[in-house]
Amino acid sequence: MPTKWVLHWHPNPGSTVNSQILNEVSQCAEAINGVKDGRWKATLTLLKPNLRDQSQPGEYPRELLGISLPEQPNKYYFILRGPRIVTEADSSIQVIMEKLQSYKSRIALYFEGYQYQLGDFQLRVGKVVSSHSENLRGIVLEVEYLPISSMEKASQVLGEFVDIWQEAVLKRSLPGSFMHNEPNLSEYGLGDNYTPQHTAVQYAYVMAQLFASQSTQAVRN
Amino acid sequence: MDVKPNFPMQFQQQQLPQLQQQQQQPEPQAASTPSTSAGQPAEAPPKQVALAMDRLAQAARLIADVRIGGDRLLEALFFAAQSQQSNKTLQFLLKEDASMRQHLQDLRTVGRQLEETGVLNDSMKSRGNSWGLHIPLVCPDGAVVAYAWKRQLAGQAGASAVDRTRLALKAFADQKRRFFPHLEDESEDQSTEPDSKKLCRPQAPLTSQLDELGDFKSLADVLARLEKEVPDVKVLTYQRRDWLKRASSLPSSGNENSIESPKEQSFHSLNKMRAGPQSAVASERASVIEISFPCTFRAVVSLHPAASIDPDAVAFFSPDEGGSYMHARGSSIYHVFRQITEHAGIGLQHFLGVGSEIALYFLLNWICSYQTLFTKVCSKCGKLLAADRKSSAILPPVRRSFRQFYPVRESPAEATSSTKDQVFEIPGAYHIGCYTDEL
Repeated sequence: MPTKWVLHWHPNPGSTVNSQILNEVSQCAEAINGVKDGRWKATLTLLKPNLRDQSQPGEYPRELLGISLPEQPNKYYFILRGPRIVTEADSSIQVIMEKLQSYKSRIALYFEGYQYQLGDFQLRVGKVVSSHSENLRGIVLEVEYLPISSMEKASQVLGEFVDIWQEAVLKRSLPGSFMHNEPNLSEYGLGDNYTPQHTAVQYAYVMAQLFASQSTQAVRN
Repeated sequence: MDVKPNFPMQFQQQQLPQLQQQQQQPEPQAASTPSTSAGQPAEAPPKQVALAMDRLAQAARLIADVRIGGDRLLEALFFAAQSQQSNKTLQFLLKEDASMRQHLQDLRTVGRQLEETGVLNDSMKSRGNSWGLHIPLVCPDGAVVAYAWKRQLAGQAGASAVDRTRLALKAFADQKRRFFPHLEDESEDQSTEPDSKKLCRPQAPLTSQLDELGDFKSLADVLARLEKEVPDVKVLTYQRRDWLKRASSLPSSGNENSIESPKEQSFHSLNKMRAGPQSAVASERASVIEISFPCTFRAVVSLHPAASIDPDAVAFFSPDEGGSYMHARGSSIYHVFRQITEHAGIGLQHFLGVGSEIALYFLLNWICSYQTLFTKVCSKCGKLLAADRKSSAILPPVRRSFRQFYPVRESPAEATSSTKDQVFEIPGAYHIGCYTDEL
């Protein structure tokens, strides 16, 4: 399947993300001749163990991430960041989780927006909204190169495309920029051939970055 | 200008303040603003159209006059150089000069009038003024359409004969480019030298090298040589029917059963392994060659007649593509591979022109040069990605030069080493916009 990089918006220190920035970014996609193609939505759920017995807190991983991706509507992905495990399950696992009540959803992040076609590239610009409030938590950008599925072969192509994108965004003088922190996918047992699990791990990292930047914002405030 | 109440109102919502302004400040002289016309009374659109058509005809006549005047002046100068009657020629020259100036002045006046009524530019149209719909339109290709609004009402984008012809011409040009890629494309900028002359140049140095290369009597020879020279390539041969089966069974990138397909593939490769001893025999009847670099591309070359060394078509595909459309005359679903296929068609014709016996060998080596498709930057601009102006797709350098693609000439000292790592010159890689036909 096509290779993809997931980038997130990193606001400059002292500024926050807002829907104006999201509009500017969408216009950027159209300015580089992207053709709006449809909507997309991904959901990331942070699950915490439902401990009836508080005496043994150490045995369970403290958080479990569940991700649903738009291109795999019948699948659901679980990630344990500590032990670096990612796994794919059928989407009906969510029903089982509800029934089991072993892990409860603490917070859910919704990534949604429009996707743009640019020749052999596909761009997805999305806002990040949490289940707790209506406020915009962040902006996420997926850059996908459709013809090849090798991470290594596509890295130069994706890198240059992101450079072109960054240049276009820079022209708009927005208070921040997109960042791509490449997570260490091999630690999760993921190989060179791109899979949805790669996407899931990238989203887990984006989530971590979002929460980290927001806690520093809170501290500063 | 007055605003007629029976015009469609929707175009005038935003223009009302502007038009009101015009009403308040009538400007009688021929001012620079194109929106007011020099002291002309307001006229109904059909009359305007007729006037504009008249003026266009007038302009055409004046241009013809200017042309004839130019000819006459040249004639007069020629005469003056020859004959001795200097006075007569002087009078003639003065007369021609005066009439020429008059024509140009008239032309300027007509041009200004046309501009003011919005015929030659679309200032009226861009203001959303409904008058722009009724003025005859001079299309960018020079055609004069009297009733532009008729085209829009008819709802057919290409309603005029000019547009229809243009669409037909484009369709024919696309077909020609696809099936006859070696023919020159007149619409593109090319050097005036015909293609045949360009082909003649590499012939002389090549004949000496051909002897060094040895004979390629059979397909097996060519392929064996190729596999030795290009270490990472995977080359397989098929009969046409077998290739079709294989192409249809390849997992396509949109395949949701991505977990199941590796099993399918291993099943097929088991089959192939069982059919192993047949592969050597198969090349005797092969008519399709598959060249693949696992994560980069898959190229399909067809041979005609079967088991010969005469290639007749080549196409490139993504390594993840699959389907019965994948054959040597097929087209990839991705822009990058479609572009390479188009370019490879021209390359194929070039290699066939260089020499029919070595065409396949050269072609296959040239195809292998694309293994650096996603890593080698353009030899002209130094970048990996560039936007193609026509399709606005962002592409890596899809064009590899083939005119200078020869075996490397070795000095006598180096020729003693039996294993050569690099047999061919590495061709330059170019974006579509960076490529020129001399490369």
